[in-house]
Amino acid sequence: MSRDARLWAAPAVVVAAFIVVMLLGLVRPSLHTTMFTIGLYALIALPLGLIYGQGGTISLAQGSFAAVGAYTSAILTTRYGLPPALSVIPAVLLPAALAFVIARPILRLPELSLALVTLSLGTVIAVGLQRGGDFTGSYVGLSGAPPLPIVGKDPVLVAIALWTAVLLVVVMYSHFVQSARGRALNAIRVDRLLAEAMGVNVPLDLATLFAVAAGIAGLAGWFYVHSIGYIAPDSLNVETSAHILFMVVLGGRRAVLGPILGAAFFTFANDFLPGAETHGLFFGTILVLILLLSPDGILSPQALRVLQRPFARRAPAEPTARPAAIADAKEAVQ
Amino acid sequence: MSLSASGISIRFGGLVALNKVAVSVSPGEIVGLVGPNGAGKTTLFNCLTGVAQPQEGHVQLEGQDISHLRLEHRVRLGIGRTFQTPRLDLAGSVADAVMLGFYPRLRQSILSACLPFSAARRTEDELSARARALIAEFRLAADPDSPAGELSLGHLRLLEVARALASEPRYLLLDEPAAGIDDVDRDLLAQAIRNAAGRGLGVLLVEHNVGFVAELSHRMVALVGGEVVAEGKPADVVGDPQVVAAYLGVQRVAA
Repeated sequence: MSRDARLWAAPAVVVAAFIVVMLLGLVRPSLHTTMFTIGLYALIALPLGLIYGQGGTISLAQGSFAAVGAYTSAILTTRYGLPPALSVIPAVLLPAALAFVIARPILRLPELSLALVTLSLGTVIAVGLQRGGDFTGSYVGLSGAPPLPIVGKDPVLVAIALWTAVLLVVVMYSHFVQSARGRALNAIRVDRLLAEAMGVNVPLDLATLFAVAAGIAGLAGWFYVHSIGYIAPDSLNVETSAHILFMVVLGGRRAVLGPILGAAFFTFANDFLPGAETHGLFFGTILVLILLLSPDGILSPQALRVLQRPFARRAPAEPTARPAAIADAKEAVQ
Repeated sequence: MSLSASGISIRFGGLVALNKVAVSVSPGEIVGLVGPNGAGKTTLFNCLTGVAQPQEGHVQLEGQDISHLRLEHRVRLGIGRTFQTPRLDLAGSVADAVMLGFYPRLRQSILSACLPFSAARRTEDELSARARALIAEFRLAADPDSPAGELSLGHLRLLEVARALASEPRYLLLDEPAAGIDDVDRDLLAQAIRNAAGRGLGVLLVEHNVGFVAELSHRMVALVGGEVVAEGKPADVVGDPQVVAAYLGVQRVAA
């Protein structure tokens, strides 16, 4: 694939899939709400795919950062009369700032400890929201958040707005992984000493991306509270964070589209599976099976290479192409 | 004009790894640092690159004290290095591994890296072409897009040299570059080192293999038991009784 094709393949797939499902929604309107749920999960899961899949930094706080964004916007709009078009700014910035501050001491921890620390961070946030009294609406939560600006309550328009945000994140993610910064993040995952020896400021880079991930989760929280109109401590919590991690790992943490595929799988499975108590059993089994077959998830680099192989064979005589490429490179030097 | 360490002392608990050691490299010069296992070569190397902090002594770059600077800052100031065990993403392509080397010279923001049609995007083609030129120059791989894991150990070492050169260093520090590689790769490596010095880079070679270093360097420093025991022209250092004793295990030459 050429470089441009690699940059735009994932966004193109997102646009095509979105159009197909929305058209199917003309026949079956419930698909529009399904699409909203998938988009919401995808928006929270995508940046986790970036920091975990590319940077090797796990987080079990994405759901809680989304809750911080949702609560921030709910409080500002219902108590202080701010329009949602303005409250989106603090809804993104507050979780990002929170993440940036706590990132420095914790991001040097090994994977398992980091998972536990971010998990307990989620628990602390949940307790704070439950015990926040009238300010956070305690266990009941907050209702009466106004609808989204411009798109209002129309499910089709809301889905379009949400998926536009998803598309923007996919475009930025695709570009990032094919940049010097993206290669630096990859080096951090492979070997932190290597990254430092290449001039990468590892703590600052990780903290910044951790904050960006939290900010995007906050944006998802903003979409959530202004579409549903209501937020409670149980809406976006530690369990959501665990589900988000499941989506990333199952869909493929190394691939841009992995988290979206995981979000779609999770949402459809939730809709079609009978009896909520069997879900854990089903998801656990699926996860074990997929990871046995493909340790990097469904959309893994190995799986993608297998898919590309039939196309690669059709390329004209490779051996002659190689010396030519070297000759080109030599010309470039002179 | 040099990269120099002076009065470096470092102790690990009761063990004195380095005792008031001084070493310096000038532009265009190849300096070989030799010594038997445990002599403190790698520790001195780590003090120069910023991986280890000496308890005493200073590291200076062009007269400026850089002792307090961390690894990633020293790289940006022009101290390139390789590793004893090559460190890179073996699943990634050879081209990507070399392109990582450009990082210290780029001042790219995360936002610019994310956006289409940005400045970062425009430099990407240029970086790719430069990386491919380096790969061709070092004869690293016929296909720059093949996985780095398919290269031999010798070629991985060469890849690390190419990657270090991509960061446009003024000084190149090589940690045991010739260990465990065959003669053909060793010749390629020697040629790459000579070329780098010819372009005006100061090269410090930390090596176990005295023969390889003696052939290549302009000046040699022998380290035994954390102290410099001999320094000067390669022939003199190789013939120095203390160096011979340390390598051959002779206790003491009869007085």
